[in-house]
Amino acid sequence: MAKGRPALSEPTYFILAALLSGPLHGHGIIKRVMDLSEGRVRLAVGTLYGALDRLAANNVITVDREEVVDGRQRRYFRLTDDGRRMVIEEAARMRQAASVVAGLLDSGEAFA
Amino acid sequence: MTGTRAGSRPGSRLASAAGGTACGTAGPRRDADLRLARLEHRYRRLLLAYPPGYRAAHGEELLGTVLDVAEPGRSMPAPREALALVAGGLRTRLTYAATGPAWADGLHLGATVLAVLNLATLVRYAGSVPLWTGLSALTLLAVLRGRFALALPLVAAGGVKTAGLALGRPWLGATLLPVYPDALWPGAGVWHEAPLHSLGGPIAPVTGYALLFGALLVLALRGGRPQVRSSWWWLAVPAVALTDPAWLEATAATPRTVARLVLELAVFGLAILAGRVTGDLRWAVAGGMYALVTLVHLVENHARFPSHDLSHWAVLALLALVSAAVPVRARRHALL
Repeated sequence: MAKGRPALSEPTYFILAALLSGPLHGHGIIKRVMDLSEGRVRLAVGTLYGALDRLAANNVITVDREEVVDGRQRRYFRLTDDGRRMVIEEAARMRQAASVVAGLLDSGEAFA
Repeated sequence: MTGTRAGSRPGSRLASAAGGTACGTAGPRRDADLRLARLEHRYRRLLLAYPPGYRAAHGEELLGTVLDVAEPGRSMPAPREALALVAGGLRTRLTYAATGPAWADGLHLGATVLAVLNLATLVRYAGSVPLWTGLSALTLLAVLRGRFALALPLVAAGGVKTAGLALGRPWLGATLLPVYPDALWPGAGVWHEAPLHSLGGPIAPVTGYALLFGALLVLALRGGRPQVRSSWWWLAVPAVALTDPAWLEATAATPRTVARLVLELAVFGLAILAGRVTGDLRWAVAGGMYALVTLVHLVENHARFPSHDLSHWAVLALLALVSAAVPVRARRHALL
């Protein structure tokens, strides 16, 4: 990751990954993250909105549109160009990091 | 929003529960609605952890989402959701508090702390020095409301008078020395009977006034619209000092001193947490101002109470350093 750029926590990484396929509202993000992480990352609502606020303040995501459902406001969030770049770079970094271990295992250099 | 029942709100699920009762809907359906209404009411109370402005803008959205993810039939909030809402609310409150220029607000916060301590020192002696206690209270009010130009001459006069009292000089009017505490009740103990500024040298009290004056001068020269501090919780410190001035005596080996150290640890702990969450230095600036005055007091009077004050000195210095280092580190290693 480039120096000076904030690091991504795992929940944040999955939130950004969830938004790669298009704008989602809070509940939609929670469900999508559950699916993508195969049930491993279960976002609590307070944690989710805290992360969304931080990401929006850092111009990683933005509000795509607002709807009122059942008398309640519902914001749909989408990735900004910076956010899309950030999650793609993070995925490439993790792929490279994973390939180090996979390479060692394949070459038989790692102890069993 | 505080104290309002959820049923009175647009979009509230309590409204549907009430409607179900009126129309005589079948029992199980009504029970489910009532459980949902109770759940909504409880989540709404948890949302009070968020600042009012945030609740007004996004409270209903968070409530709708947390009810959407709740298992059917649940009437008590899920512990992990409840914990995350409270933590998220406190985090948001800290983020909201960290708006505006950090240095200026940190100086203002530190000045407020020093003005509170000055008043707390005098309040037990109000009967003997009513004018100076009154002026100290007025200073605190001016600092709280951001009226720095008004507070400056009051602090200057208070500092000169304090130096006079500590050195035994009749500056700014003669005062009968020593200044004994007011006899609120008999048999209060030796620390209650100690005359004003008799438990330590003159440097620390004068340092407190000088630091307060310097901070206010910077704020007055800076101009701009200061943040108005409207919390009356600050008055708890002089109120506690009125009942027991031993709280203020950092060098005395009393249980109060230990309690004060614990309180300092808790407040600095909050400042460190706030700095970590926001990467903002304002709490470190205020904590540093308090630590400096207390450290001067401890060093100045070290010879009188050498047994325990070194550890207090070290703990305070460490807390002040950590509270400054944590936000700097949080900025360098931001985790989204």
